[in-house]
Amino acid sequence: MNWKRALLTDSGGFQMVSLLHLADITEKGVTFQSPVDGKRMLLTPEESIQIQNKIGADIIMALDDVVKTTTIGPRVEEAMYRTLRWIDRCLAAHQKPAVQNLFGIVQGGLDPVLRDICLRGLVERNLPGYAIGGLSGGEDKDSFWRVVAQCTAALPEDKPRYVMGVGYPLDIVVCSALGADMYDCVYPTRTARFGTALIPEGVLKLKHKVMASDERPIDPTCSCMVCKNYTRAYIHCLVTKDAMGSQLLSYHNLSYMMRLSRDLHTSIVEGRFPQFVQGFLRAQFPKGDVPKWVCNAMEVAGIDISACCAPLTSSQN
Amino acid sequence: MIGTIKGLTNNQLEDIGCQIILGNTYHLALRPGADLIDELGGLHKLMNWKRALLTDSGGFQMVSLLHLADITEKGVTFQSPVDGKRMLLTPEESIQIQNKIGADIIMALDDVVKTTTIGPRVEEAMYRTLRWIDRCLAAHQKPAVQNLFGIVQGGLDPVLRDICLRGLVERNLPGYAIGGLSGGEDKDSFWRVVAQCTAALPEDKPRYVMGVGYPLDIVVCSALGADMYDCVYPTRTARFGTALIPEGVLKLKHKVMASDERPIDPTCSCMVCKNYTRAYIHCLVTKDAMGSQLLSYHNLSYMMRLSRDLHTSIVEGRFPQFVQGFLRAQFPKGDVPKWVCNAMEVAGIDISACCAPLTSSQN
Repeated sequence: MNWKRALLTDSGGFQMVSLLHLADITEKGVTFQSPVDGKRMLLTPEESIQIQNKIGADIIMALDDVVKTTTIGPRVEEAMYRTLRWIDRCLAAHQKPAVQNLFGIVQGGLDPVLRDICLRGLVERNLPGYAIGGLSGGEDKDSFWRVVAQCTAALPEDKPRYVMGVGYPLDIVVCSALGADMYDCVYPTRTARFGTALIPEGVLKLKHKVMASDERPIDPTCSCMVCKNYTRAYIHCLVTKDAMGSQLLSYHNLSYMMRLSRDLHTSIVEGRFPQFVQGFLRAQFPKGDVPKWVCNAMEVAGIDISACCAPLTSSQN
Repeated sequence: MIGTIKGLTNNQLEDIGCQIILGNTYHLALRPGADLIDELGGLHKLMNWKRALLTDSGGFQMVSLLHLADITEKGVTFQSPVDGKRMLLTPEESIQIQNKIGADIIMALDDVVKTTTIGPRVEEAMYRTLRWIDRCLAAHQKPAVQNLFGIVQGGLDPVLRDICLRGLVERNLPGYAIGGLSGGEDKDSFWRVVAQCTAALPEDKPRYVMGVGYPLDIVVCSALGADMYDCVYPTRTARFGTALIPEGVLKLKHKVMASDERPIDPTCSCMVCKNYTRAYIHCLVTKDAMGSQLLSYHNLSYMMRLSRDLHTSIVEGRFPQFVQGFLRAQFPKGDVPKWVCNAMEVAGIDISACCAPLTSSQN
């Protein structure tokens, strides 16, 4: 790739479970039908780590047993314990601990008791970093933030905390307030391919007819190459007709995310994180209708956002 | 084009030294529409492209893309792809649309027939093209800022071509295109028409061979005195995984590329050749649009380099040596096609050093 900065690889498990019809999880690993020739294959924790050792990324992920957040019953517990057994197999198989950081993934569904067991188990293994897995799968936002909060409270303060599959800018701001550091999501580029740009106010739909004659940049406050060079009108022409539209929007959306990360980081370093959060929420919710789950999460995080919330709001999630 | 080149941003086009972009009037008129472009200040402003733009007349796309296109003295009648209504593109309207788009060079609406056509239709089209150029000139609202080029028609018939050439030359246009070629005719007929036209067209006006083309064709036409070209080939072939290199082409989808750690072209200094290996691009071309884009970038860089090299070699008085070097790279065994040898002879360029003795090459 000729990429001189960092790379992270996931374990391969999630795609298998979500993309392949006949994927099945046993104690050995994930059995699936090869999409190339249809043969039955097995991805074990050992093999996932071997593959990741060969790819050579700076951060690699343990193979975990992940269940949909909406799952209830004994499967959730089984997956949590299996994740703990598999982290040991991953650690044993890992050939390059000096150059590749193997992160463990906290599972346990939405059950605080299970999450607690998993958290303790991973923390005592003293890993280079920790991911909070099994979220962003359709659970309600109120459950979501509570699991994140529990995990960040229990994970070491001097190790990265990575919330997998997150997400929307608002979710990232909330999780950051709760103490998370890293995120991954297809959202910025995927939404770009649908003609949607990310802006401080929320989203801008470039396919909308009103964009056809709008000569402003996507975001006047953004200094990315797209906002410095092109108008909404031009991008509107493209998004309905040419791949370049999606590309320019992807470029802008990723610039937006980079700027959001940078701003979050700088505001923390400069001791003005609450003000940053307030500014962010005011831009997204000018009428003060901040969703209740956000208010609850910020309260637990100790961030005062009362100035952004209209009095007596009964907002939905 | 609807305001972009497939695979490259405008910044990238500037980076590789692109000076002029061609826009298809047909597509632009459909979307975003000439009036909207006009309201927004013209296509330069809409695209934020500070260099040159050229628009074609719209006629060619209509004839080639639309099943029910029909040509009469009035203009090109066709069925609108948007709502199926019957519509008419006249010379006047083509120029009006191009005036609104605002390109630096605009093309007359011509009556173009397939090169392989024979019979009275070719003559009819040639005379109609001459009648239409007058209607185009009359309709042209911005002659001070937009250069209206005429297009020489007449098929493969030198008599017809001669009539058309005289007719256009006496109208003293800012530039001239050689049309009606690159449509399947044999190469021997192709170069002869180009040679006849360049010989008859004014030396101090641009000569634009429409629809050309392959690097070899561009070198030959340049030797014959042409200056400008347009073709989808570099980007289209990129989308098929093919890179343009001095030796000819490189097919990145080929299995041997999977482990080839060289750049596409070690002599190329473009962003792609400076940063990526054949192996990497091979991974991409079989799987991701980025492969096509990187190849498009390289191929356009190649074309820019070719143009620059042709130009510089002429200015520096070493054009024949450049042609020899080009042919040696493409035909290391000396099997230069006969049509190229014939054309170079007429052009007065000695390429005997590049041709193996007693070659009986095909076109």
